[in-house]
Amino acid sequence: MVALSQALLNGVVLGLIYVAIAVGLTIVFGTLRLVNFAHGAFYAIGAYVGLVVAQTWGLGAGFIAAPIAVAIFAILLDRFLLRPFYAKDATSQILVTFGIALIVEETLKLIFGATTQQYPVPAALATSFSLGAITYPAYRLLFALGVIVMLVLVWFFIERTDYGLIVRAGVRDRTMVQLLGGNIRQASTIVFALGAAIAGLVGAAASPIYSIAPGTGFAFLVPSFVVVVVGGLGSFWGAVLGGLLIGELQSVTTLVFPPAANVIIYLCMALVLLLRPQGLLGESEVIRQ
Amino acid sequence: MTGATRGSDVRFALLTSIVLAVFPFAFHAIDGYAGLATQILIVSIASIGFNLLLGYTGLLSYGHAMFYGGGGYVAAILLIRLMPDHPNLWLAVIGATLAATILALLVGALAVRLYGIYFALLTLAFAQMVFFIVEQAKDWTSGDDGLQSFPNALLPLGPYNVDLGTALPSVPLGPFGNLADIKLWYIFAALVLFCVLLLMRALTRSQFGEVLTAIRENEERSSLVGFNAAAYRLAAFAISGALTGLSGSLRALYDGTVAVESLGIDRSGSFVIYTIVGGVQALFGPVVGSAVIMYLESVLSAHISYWRLVEGVIFVAVIIFLPAGIVGTLSERFSGRAKSRALLVQTVRADSGK
Repeated sequence: MVALSQALLNGVVLGLIYVAIAVGLTIVFGTLRLVNFAHGAFYAIGAYVGLVVAQTWGLGAGFIAAPIAVAIFAILLDRFLLRPFYAKDATSQILVTFGIALIVEETLKLIFGATTQQYPVPAALATSFSLGAITYPAYRLLFALGVIVMLVLVWFFIERTDYGLIVRAGVRDRTMVQLLGGNIRQASTIVFALGAAIAGLVGAAASPIYSIAPGTGFAFLVPSFVVVVVGGLGSFWGAVLGGLLIGELQSVTTLVFPPAANVIIYLCMALVLLLRPQGLLGESEVIRQ
Repeated sequence: MTGATRGSDVRFALLTSIVLAVFPFAFHAIDGYAGLATQILIVSIASIGFNLLLGYTGLLSYGHAMFYGGGGYVAAILLIRLMPDHPNLWLAVIGATLAATILALLVGALAVRLYGIYFALLTLAFAQMVFFIVEQAKDWTSGDDGLQSFPNALLPLGPYNVDLGTALPSVPLGPFGNLADIKLWYIFAALVLFCVLLLMRALTRSQFGEVLTAIRENEERSSLVGFNAAAYRLAAFAISGALTGLSGSLRALYDGTVAVESLGIDRSGSFVIYTIVGGVQALFGPVVGSAVIMYLESVLSAHISYWRLVEGVIFVAVIIFLPAGIVGTLSERFSGRAKSRALLVQTVRADSGK
């Protein structure tokens, strides 16, 4: 019973990381129709920037520097490289963003080496909470709470601000938004930078929990695509539901039958793609693009 | 068949065989070793298969490693389990290719209904499943360790059992030293690649190829004319998977080892890179792409630690600046130049006639 509760809690934390990465993927797809294989690179850059800054100025400074650095990188990418690809087919987008992911991963390897690194949990947070029979590391619980707060803020941005309005309208009908005078280009850049910044922040915040290596970004990207597909490409709540579902599924399977832990999430993804390609919460009109 | 096309067929066969025969010598002169030349020919077969899908149906598979690594594992397991005493190369390769074809038919039957990102992600999902299943089925596959030291398969040719590992006589190349390390394997790989190229040429020039192109350009119209688009796509997917499986099995037998990485995402990505760099929709594109990237990898990774960074930069630069790839760009250049010269000649003649 204790083991199961532990696995369920681990599933929530893992699921929230997936959610946080997937939210960026999904809002970028929703607004820009961009399939971004370089999204995992944002996570990795955030993790390394966070690591470097945290080693000198402390973890808090790392949490501030990581999303800012990643957002700047994303804006440059958007402005100088990706723009011509927004109007192209998904295949071209996958190709160019895959290439960018490759370049980022190898640049990180060149700068920081291929070895795995980890930032230690600050002493003040290195305690454990007792929740009934189980004890759980305080940092992980705080991390989970932090992701939830961040998701609320993102949701607020999308649902309650003017930019969010343009973003949501853009998902439905880009041309109409432009005709009505909405600056969808500027909104798109902001959404792209926002999605990237979230991934960067999560990269920095997760580094005391999961170790960092240059390939970490891609390693998290692939399950994040599972999450986005299961939840529905372009759907905010889909990413939330999909992330928690996949996190739990992976965590519980690891407890019950470890050899199947990785197979099962891809099986899940394949089933959703075949039976309900728009995902659990996605809108069906988004799919044939 | 008209005389002209038969003539062009003969010319194609002749030129291709000359290039394949000269390749290891020219390659030796630029520091490529013979073993790499053999590996390039073998991997090219997979890239050609991958390109049948990307170039002619427009479908980007992100899971072709399942056929490549799958072919390698099936060949190795057939040798270890079924013929440890009389390892037969034909049986191992044919068995592996058949297995890859069946896998491609199964995955393809489900995947060809999807497009773009959904197709790419579904093939990725299946490849990941195969990867983790093989990694976990340790009794058969040794998991992360991969399979080594399986029986050296011999090639039965009539009364002889040929060992492809036999070294060919060393060839002196003057200032470039001796081409000494070349094995019978090279000739075998060259023959297989030659047949694959002929097959692809025939296939893409046949009605089958034309229908595939028509479906890629306008599926609705092709369907209205009466072509079953899904069936054509499935056929292309199966042939693509079969060629990739063939390539994977040859590579495993040549290397004498098969690793779980041969089923991984990076492997799937490598076919994407080779094909894009060489040029989609060009018969020799994937071959040239495989050769260029594998050669650069071998030469550069000996001197610099960041070879993969260079590879990524080349890949992105090709996507942005040479979307037709190396071969596509060159042939555009040449046919463009030939056309403008023909035009010039015509104009000059017209002028002088006055």
